[in-house]
Amino acid sequence: MIATLKKHAFKAYKKSAIRKHELNYLFWECTTKCNLNCLHCGSDCAKDSAFEDMPIEDFLKAVDTIQNIPKNFTVVFTGGEPLIRNDIEICGRELRKRGFKWSLVTNGHLYNKQRHISLLNAGIGALTISFDGLQESHNWLRNNTHSFTTVLKAIELATSSNRINFDVVTCVNQKNFAELEQIKQLLISKNVKAWRLFTIIPIGRAVNNPDLHITDAQFLALMEFIKINRKTKEIDIKFSCEGYVGRYELDVRDSNFFCRAGINIGSVLIDGSISACPNIDRAFSQGNIYTHNFYEIWHNKFQAFRNREWTKIGQCKSCKDYDDCQGNGFHNWHGEHTNVLVCHNEKIENAIKHQKR
Amino acid sequence: MKKNVCRKIIGGLSLTSAMFVFQACYGTPQDFGLDLLVEGQVKAKASGLPIQGIKVSVAGNVQYEITDENGKFSFYTEMLEDLTLKFQDVDSTQNGLFHDKDTLLTERSDKIYLDITLDEK
Ligand code: SF4
Ligand code: SF4
Repeated sequence: MIATLKKHAFKAYKKSAIRKHELNYLFWECTTKCNLNCLHCGSDCAKDSAFEDMPIEDFLKAVDTIQNIPKNFTVVFTGGEPLIRNDIEICGRELRKRGFKWSLVTNGHLYNKQRHISLLNAGIGALTISFDGLQESHNWLRNNTHSFTTVLKAIELATSSNRINFDVVTCVNQKNFAELEQIKQLLISKNVKAWRLFTIIPIGRAVNNPDLHITDAQFLALMEFIKINRKTKEIDIKFSCEGYVGRYELDVRDSNFFCRAGINIGSVLIDGSISACPNIDRAFSQGNIYTHNFYEIWHNKFQAFRNREWTKIGQCKSCKDYDDCQGNGFHNWHGEHTNVLVCHNEKIENAIKHQKR
Repeated sequence: MKKNVCRKIIGGLSLTSAMFVFQACYGTPQDFGLDLLVEGQVKAKASGLPIQGIKVSVAGNVQYEITDENGKFSFYTEMLEDLTLKFQDVDSTQNGLFHDKDTLLTERSDKIYLDITLDEK
């Protein structure tokens, strides 16, 4: 009864959030250059290092068009590897002057003590570091024999500051699947408080690498792993926002699935394109800061994000969970957009069916 | 206005009362922490001239900044009950020789400006 009530209330809340489409979270793809060559790269975003880094002034001009900025508006620096740029702190200070918060996603390789201090001095408030397994599996994915040691040092630095709201993200794959418990213990021993797990969508380089993908049975086991560990509260573990997980909704995350791309999440991409999460098909870009007023685009366009009826196609067309899922995370629509790339719910249900056989 | 109230009630009911506590898959958590901006200038007591190269640090914290050619410093740091700033001459005779100084911040605001004078040795 309460669960049904909650579900209805959440639907109503979602509708109202979509209507309001308050911009709370703005990605800035400030560079596409990177100091690593990860195996899964290219599956998540276009790493075309031919692009020049966008000048800070161009980004700030776009930010300055935003009206009625909500109190908790955050700019998230992403890449490529944002720390390759040595002017992140300058941009961070400019954002703070305007009353905005900012944060950073990094592979951790350039996150040394000096950078930790200068980022704190410039008013950083949150940080995410990618950590993908024990020594062998992490280094395998990162394609770098020193990555594990370097990243662990970065994690130690990040956890030493109370100011930074810090979490670790781990890409779950064949090589680290059996290590999840050990990774958890390692993170706890390094004083990490929050851990987010995600899986890879089959695009780019990831399509032809079976080691990057987990099976349906493994996905189900992952849901169980997260569910159980959320109960023990040793670490704030969660599944990323990447998809609707049916019967595991609320067991693996703090709230129901809600892909906020284009609803609360926007982005300025490397070439000035205006979109939402950087892992979304670039064909969905809504305009460009060099030719459009950023906020006008945010306010008046983004129809495909705010009305997802178009995702009622392929296997989503006749899905009984459509109302709760609405075609899964937006980043699961690449290419022809004739079917969703991954249905997390289907993976779970398939695995359960198999178990029963 | 009415719509806003409605939205809050609905948000609360659906147990997403911290309505915007969210993060995109490849983004960071949101920042709900508190900090303050500490800015100021360090001058020599006798001459009144700005001092470059003074290390301004937060006691018990790794954070520090070195004053620029105008004796100025500016950084954000976590809002704490007791916040002590340390001013140390760390560049030996370069830019003169000065006694260290500790300053306990008593004011609580999101922006503090400090005029600091250091005694010559
Ligand atoms: S079929 Fe589509 S709408 Fe249904 S659960 Fe899967 S992704 Fe979601
Ligand atoms: S597009 Fe993907 S990453 Fe972005 S909010 Fe939706 S599910 Fe999360």
